[in-house]
Amino acid sequence: MNILIHDLSNEQFRSLFPEASDRVRVISDNGTIRHCVGCFGCWIKTPGRCVLKDGYDNMGELLSRCETLTVISRCVYGCYSSFVKNVLDRSIPWLLPFFKTRNNETHHKRRYQNNMRLAVHFYGENITAEERETAKKLVKANCANFYVSDYEISFSNSEDELYKEVTFI
Amino acid sequence: MKICIINGSPKANNSTSELLIGYLMPFIKENEIITYRISKRDFSEIQFSQIQNSEALIFAFPLYIDSIDSHLLRFLLELEKRGFENKNISVYCIINNGFYEGRQNQTAADIMKNWCEAVGLTYGQTLGVGAGEMLPFLKDIPLGHGPNKNIGIAFQKLSRNILSLSQGKDLFVSPNWPRFLWKIQSSLDFWYPQAKKNGLKRKELKDRINY
Repeated sequence: MNILIHDLSNEQFRSLFPEASDRVRVISDNGTIRHCVGCFGCWIKTPGRCVLKDGYDNMGELLSRCETLTVISRCVYGCYSSFVKNVLDRSIPWLLPFFKTRNNETHHKRRYQNNMRLAVHFYGENITAEERETAKKLVKANCANFYVSDYEISFSNSEDELYKEVTFI
Repeated sequence: MKICIINGSPKANNSTSELLIGYLMPFIKENEIITYRISKRDFSEIQFSQIQNSEALIFAFPLYIDSIDSHLLRFLLELEKRGFENKNISVYCIINNGFYEGRQNQTAADIMKNWCEAVGLTYGQTLGVGAGEMLPFLKDIPLGHGPNKNIGIAFQKLSRNILSLSQGKDLFVSPNWPRFLWKIQSSLDFWYPQAKKNGLKRKELKDRINY
């Protein structure tokens, strides 16, 4: 299964990628998402599943079946948009609470053994050079923590550019 | 000096950010200090105005997925939307992460620097503290001593810069405690006891959904 997390409006998304929903599992903003409250419930209460029941509580399980994860996000200060970040914050049940050391850094152990490919497409009209650098560092760090070895990252100034970058949907 | 501290933890109480704010307080207590928690919804106009009119703005927050959690990100966007007429504000960050290495907070610090650039404020300094979940276990040990030695030194440096509204090199520290021991203790003293309280066996923590 391939998954797409995006923060585009429904209209924008349908017009840019009309056939995407037939090919990938689309995770978009339906207005109900709650933010992670740092309770660790997904690790120590209901392992593997978030305790907030809002329709976004099964991200760990979804990612366990994911081959390619595509992210389309506005670049906000070199980070993802708040919706996309919210979904990623809710994805920690894919990991275990326990730690391991890799490349002289500690990371969480993985709950699942699938190796995802990650494609992150940032967009925004005025992304600064510093924001680009931060976003690159962020995606690289995410890859280290989600055991991703194959990833790509792009930056688009406009919908046209974004459409060209997101080629495999 | 007017200092506004934003506790950016999404937890309502007992957050590591709250503990770290408590560590900073004795260093800056002679000033006019207001502390807000963003876990409390709906800031009033007066509260926004106090943030906008501070001289030092200090954010304390946890690292989520290598960066800033979505709730704090929404709050930063709201602050950008409202804008800062007064640009003479220096911003400082105290970031804590669950991993051992405080340096893993670097990207979150860079995001805060980019936010400062976007809203036109001056970035002062970052203090990134690793092994966040361990810190409450060390709270009775005085800062600057034993496992809190490095953290205490870092708070001294940070507070000096806050009090003079100066900029400083980012500081990243971990408790003075061996990493291998911290790793073992995190399971034995933190995750397993918490799971037990919830009636779970150790092996159940590794459960996979639909496998």
